[in-house]
Amino acid sequence: MSVQDEPKTTEPSWGKRADLDVLNRDIRRIDGPDKVTGRAIYTHDIRLPNMLHARILRHPVPRARINAVDVEAARRLPGVVHIHIEKEPGTEVRYSGDDSVIAVVAAETPEAALDGVRAIIVDATNLEPVVSPEAAKKADAPLVNYSRGAESNVTGASESGDRNEIEKIFEGAAAVGEVNIDIPVQHHVCLETHGHVVDPIERDGFVHIYASTQNVSGMPGQFRGPLERDSDGIRVLTPHMGGGFGSKFGPGLEGALAARIARETGRPVHLMLSRPDEFTMAGNRSGSRQRLRLAADESGKFIAVDLDAEKLGGQGNGSLPGAPYRYDVDNVSSKIVSVKTATDSNRAMRAPGHPQAAFGMESVIDEVAYALGMDPIEIRKRNLQSPIHHRQLDAVAKEIGWADHPNKTQHGLPENGIAVGIGFGVAGWGPGGRASQCDVTVNPDGRVVSATATQDLGTGARTYVAAIVAEELGLQVSDVTARIGDSQLPPSVASGGSVTTGSSAPAIKDGAHQMREALEAKLEPVLGAPVGGYEWKDGRVRVKGGGDDQSLSWKAVCALLREPLTVRGQFKQSLYRGNIHGAQAAKIEIDVFTGRIKVLKMVAIQDQGLPLNRMALRSQINGGMIQALSYGLLEERVFDEQDGYLLSENLDHYKIAGCQEMPEMISLIDDEDERESVCGMAEATIIPGHCAIANAIYNACGVRLTKMPFTPAHVLEALYGKI
Amino acid sequence: MTEPQSEGETRPVQTASALSRRSFLKGAGGAAAASGVLAARAGAAQETAESKGATTVSGATEIELTVNGQVRQVTVEPRTTLLSALRDRMEPALTGTKLVCDMGSCGACTVVVDGKPAYSCLTLAVQCQGKAVTTVEGFGSPEAMSDVQDAFCEKDGLMCGFCTPGFIVATHAALDRKPDATLDELKYELSGNFCRCGTYPHIFDAAQAVQASRARSGESQTSGDSQKEGGR
Repeated sequence: MSVQDEPKTTEPSWGKRADLDVLNRDIRRIDGPDKVTGRAIYTHDIRLPNMLHARILRHPVPRARINAVDVEAARRLPGVVHIHIEKEPGTEVRYSGDDSVIAVVAAETPEAALDGVRAIIVDATNLEPVVSPEAAKKADAPLVNYSRGAESNVTGASESGDRNEIEKIFEGAAAVGEVNIDIPVQHHVCLETHGHVVDPIERDGFVHIYASTQNVSGMPGQFRGPLERDSDGIRVLTPHMGGGFGSKFGPGLEGALAARIARETGRPVHLMLSRPDEFTMAGNRSGSRQRLRLAADESGKFIAVDLDAEKLGGQGNGSLPGAPYRYDVDNVSSKIVSVKTATDSNRAMRAPGHPQAAFGMESVIDEVAYALGMDPIEIRKRNLQSPIHHRQLDAVAKEIGWADHPNKTQHGLPENGIAVGIGFGVAGWGPGGRASQCDVTVNPDGRVVSATATQDLGTGARTYVAAIVAEELGLQVSDVTARIGDSQLPPSVASGGSVTTGSSAPAIKDGAHQMREALEAKLEPVLGAPVGGYEWKDGRVRVKGGGDDQSLSWKAVCALLREPLTVRGQFKQSLYRGNIHGAQAAKIEIDVFTGRIKVLKMVAIQDQGLPLNRMALRSQINGGMIQALSYGLLEERVFDEQDGYLLSENLDHYKIAGCQEMPEMISLIDDEDERESVCGMAEATIIPGHCAIANAIYNACGVRLTKMPFTPAHVLEALYGKI
Repeated sequence: MTEPQSEGETRPVQTASALSRRSFLKGAGGAAAASGVLAARAGAAQETAESKGATTVSGATEIELTVNGQVRQVTVEPRTTLLSALRDRMEPALTGTKLVCDMGSCGACTVVVDGKPAYSCLTLAVQCQGKAVTTVEGFGSPEAMSDVQDAFCEKDGLMCGFCTPGFIVATHAALDRKPDATLDELKYELSGNFCRCGTYPHIFDAAQAVQASRARSGESQTSGDSQKEGGR
């Protein structure tokens, strides 16, 4: 293998969309056939010789003193091999989450591990649970803020603006809206739970860890401590992974425990969280309470906003960008605090904090619009600077049928108990792009490999790892083998904040471009043209403007190589730009007798620069809308506040949207965006959907839903306050 | 009669005896016909209960399961679910069928048993003796996909792919049961399966594409074309 050393003569560029043969089209996922036939191997599916199955015992309530942990009966059970005690007698369980882990049982079969867990006898004195913000804020509440030096469960106050000045503006405003928002905690619900298979038996100098992670390159360093081993000797593999949504950046306690048991037993350990474990200790999107007020002048221009908010992140600080979110308002005052409870920390979740902030702002905007008799589209345009948002609002309004809708500047009324409404919301995001690398290899027999450590969370990343190279070299996607999900491959980024595409795609493009120029240098003595003088298309290279005698097939080009040629692509700032916009609309039907909301139609439009794979992009946009619909209508973590049991610990009580909740969905790619750059976009699409649904409910019958989710109970509560 | 043990349920552990929770009384009611298949195998602890035609299995027992047309020997306990038998007890393991909720809420473990879709996390392995079990692997391979599998690829009816095997099986079963299902009927037929990424609209597209192509070809099922990637 040789690394080419010829100087490059041109910079890579994505080129005009009309000139593209592979990208900006519907590309079938290259891992589709493996996934639809059950051959795709996830961490859950790893089966190694002599492998142990491990299972966690959690204490069922958030706070307790542990008096005794008796594992003698468990040790005697057939199949039980190893028991690790995490909470020794005399210690405390301080919150519901990873601190609830009492012990781990490793056994020959999953059933034996479960038997072992059930046979452990824990003597504990349960303490006041403190799972709600009300309980945490009581004067005599136990301190559940375990930060060093903390004296209160209410913490991290951040204040901005001068409230007295703001009040004066409110007094002189043409219209004032106010909402009191109550958003529960949401879970990621990755269908593959968190977990790992740790194989401690060294092979080729490595201990191998299969991990369901969105951070392949960053994992070896995080396993250094648990494995007591240098990260150079740790290889992390993620061939496929079943969803992350922001919750899978590190090993977590479950990874550390798997590593420890593997070290102590010398056997491979399979430790995946059970679904109740997952709901308890795998993180969440923080809840929030917001009192939000917005003032506008007669023209609908927003003149002041005031926010008083609590972030409910359990042991975490919670996440809330605050007001006025995407909109332009000159005068802002706010006070935001974190209320700590004895529950699992919030983690990053697809656009952390943004769906919460958008819900407050988009709700209060419509309050002001209707007070002024203004169209919700018009008032948004009046207060959004970007012409991109303006054209996108027009696009979704057209697609949802706004022009023919009867109630635009005032809400409608139910007829025979049924009312139909339409609502809107906007989105934005700044997807990052940073250092990432990709190796492109061409073999003398024509095989092409594109390799980078990155992970495919379901976004389609694996497919563009091949497709970008195919585009540059005039090949088909199936001519290129994509290798990803291996920490020994060229490093990539953690998939957080929609950075993966903006980081990986430029590196892949750069690698493909370098390869093209390296091959062109070898073609010069054969076909005569210098580097840059060729076009690559349909599996052939041709001197620009030349005839068939100045052309070679791909196989013939590769036959010029005596050995495999590898080049390393690097992130290129010029190929990336990270500023994106979106808008969404929802049309709903409300039954005011039963409180049932049926979403009839949702429309989304999104820009992101060059669409690498239009079909995967539409899937992502659908996914954003559906997760927002699910958030708005169904999802709510529920604790028993008296004793502290998590009541929503599986999918029977923690509801997510299914087939029958699906409305007609239109996903539009904003083709007026002609940027020749790439970036991610997944975060933006989850932000406005539930806001548009709430606004549609108001538009239908004048009931403002401020308490999520919009279950019949919450809808009826809102209705009977009104009627 | 005992019930499948899955997570969440905590029961006292007893040592194995004929009537412990490790035992499974086979043969009552409609299952009587299958009891004859419960042949004793070497090493199996097996007894015949006093009740008519009933067989009690206790402890680790080797049974035969017919999975994807192949007879597979597998050692199970009476409480072993079909899901666990497929994923953890077979050699080589059949891991296409996924465990997600382990309580019959999500559909990721859907397989077909004697022509009907079933949650394999709620089905005991010993109940499946003498029945034909089809898993996602049985519908096609990457080189020779079923029409449903091919349509999922063509319409992008998958993202992370963890719910996909369950949806493939459920879609096959739904289209077999209701070949002319309307969109609303498809949503109902597939409502036992959850997806988190948000692939539902493209799954409906895929199912409808299969309906259209079957209607054109007049066949109940065709195998998929060989794969062409690139979307050109």
